[in-house]
Amino acid sequence: MELVYSQRRDREEATSLPDRELAIRARGGDMVSFEALVTRKTPAVVSLARRIVGNGEDARDVGQMVFLRVWSELHRYDERYSLNTWLYRIATNLSIDFLRSARSRERAHGATLHLVEEREQSTAAEATRTAEDAELARLFETVSGSLSEKQKAVFVLKEMEDCDTSEIAEILGCGESTVRNHLFNARRVLRREIGRLYPEFLRGRQL
Amino acid sequence: MSAICGILRGSFEDYLSDALPPPQRKILREHLAACAECRDLAVEKDPTFVFARPVHDEVTPEETARILSAVKTGVALMETEKRIRRTRRRLAGGTAAAAAVAALVLLLPGARHGTGTSAAPSGTQASLPAKPPASSPLSSDAALSAAALPADSAPAGDATVYDWNPGAGQEEPRVVWIVDRGLDI
Repeated sequence: MELVYSQRRDREEATSLPDRELAIRARGGDMVSFEALVTRKTPAVVSLARRIVGNGEDARDVGQMVFLRVWSELHRYDERYSLNTWLYRIATNLSIDFLRSARSRERAHGATLHLVEEREQSTAAEATRTAEDAELARLFETVSGSLSEKQKAVFVLKEMEDCDTSEIAEILGCGESTVRNHLFNARRVLRREIGRLYPEFLRGRQL
Repeated sequence: MSAICGILRGSFEDYLSDALPPPQRKILREHLAACAECRDLAVEKDPTFVFARPVHDEVTPEETARILSAVKTGVALMETEKRIRRTRRRLAGGTAAAAAVAALVLLLPGARHGTGTSAAPSGTQASLPAKPPASSPLSSDAALSAAALPADSAPAGDATVYDWNPGAGQEEPRVVWIVDRGLDI
């Protein structure tokens, strides 16, 4: 009874700790802190992965891989830096790896085709989003099929996660000019795809 | 259209070329999320402006719980594998240490005392009994017994213990062979 109470108290305490403190405690083997960290960061990680890999099921798989990687690599985390940047780096890299695999690529194309054909259908998971967010997410999933993995990752981080260019460069391990280059090319491809699939967005504008 | 609309509309180009400083970028994004007129104008200018807002892609508590459960299982598995690897390493280390000690014992000068020869035993020869006293080959247990190397050989079940230098003290290592006839090698 005492043990149960103590565990509950530890959990409550952990939920109020800042990210870095949780990471430091988890690094020392504190499972309660690690669980609190997973619970806190899962929505952001899965959301980011979903944007990049294209569907919820794969995003959940990537989410699990991300946190397992976090557990095994926590000793490498430098607490002087933002945990989010480190976490996003792992999530982005694993999402890109996932997307690059042949199986994932097939699924992404399948998902895109499915969405083009049956845009009005919504999955159970999507039902929880607001209608506008769900529409925007579907639109992105539809038009982003032609982006390269890096272009997609940069665009998602910049536009949807609102990361700074310097942070994206750190996440992807490249220079800021490379990030801007990817962003520029991503916009070009997306403009073309939106114009092709949804010309109503281009009222009064010629590509 | 408010005054701020006019100001922010002038920053569309900078936003697209990633030249807008973060605070202004944030203001523009928040404004576009709130002002339908400016958003339509921005999307007309560049359709990728439609994505210039945070997307709240909700992950349900059930999804989070499922992921947490899977991660905990994965962590437990990783930790178990780590423990198994550590145990294996310890066992391998122990075996190697035992083998090293045995080799050391056999290679040290004490082995020569046992054989009673002046020839220094080397490598595998040290583990072979009795080249010296008899010319008999070690083709059988009988031959081994016939070698009659140590006086103190005592059968123990299927095994025979040959004590080469029973009187060895601290400076002189003790050399003992155990010949187990029950072993099927």
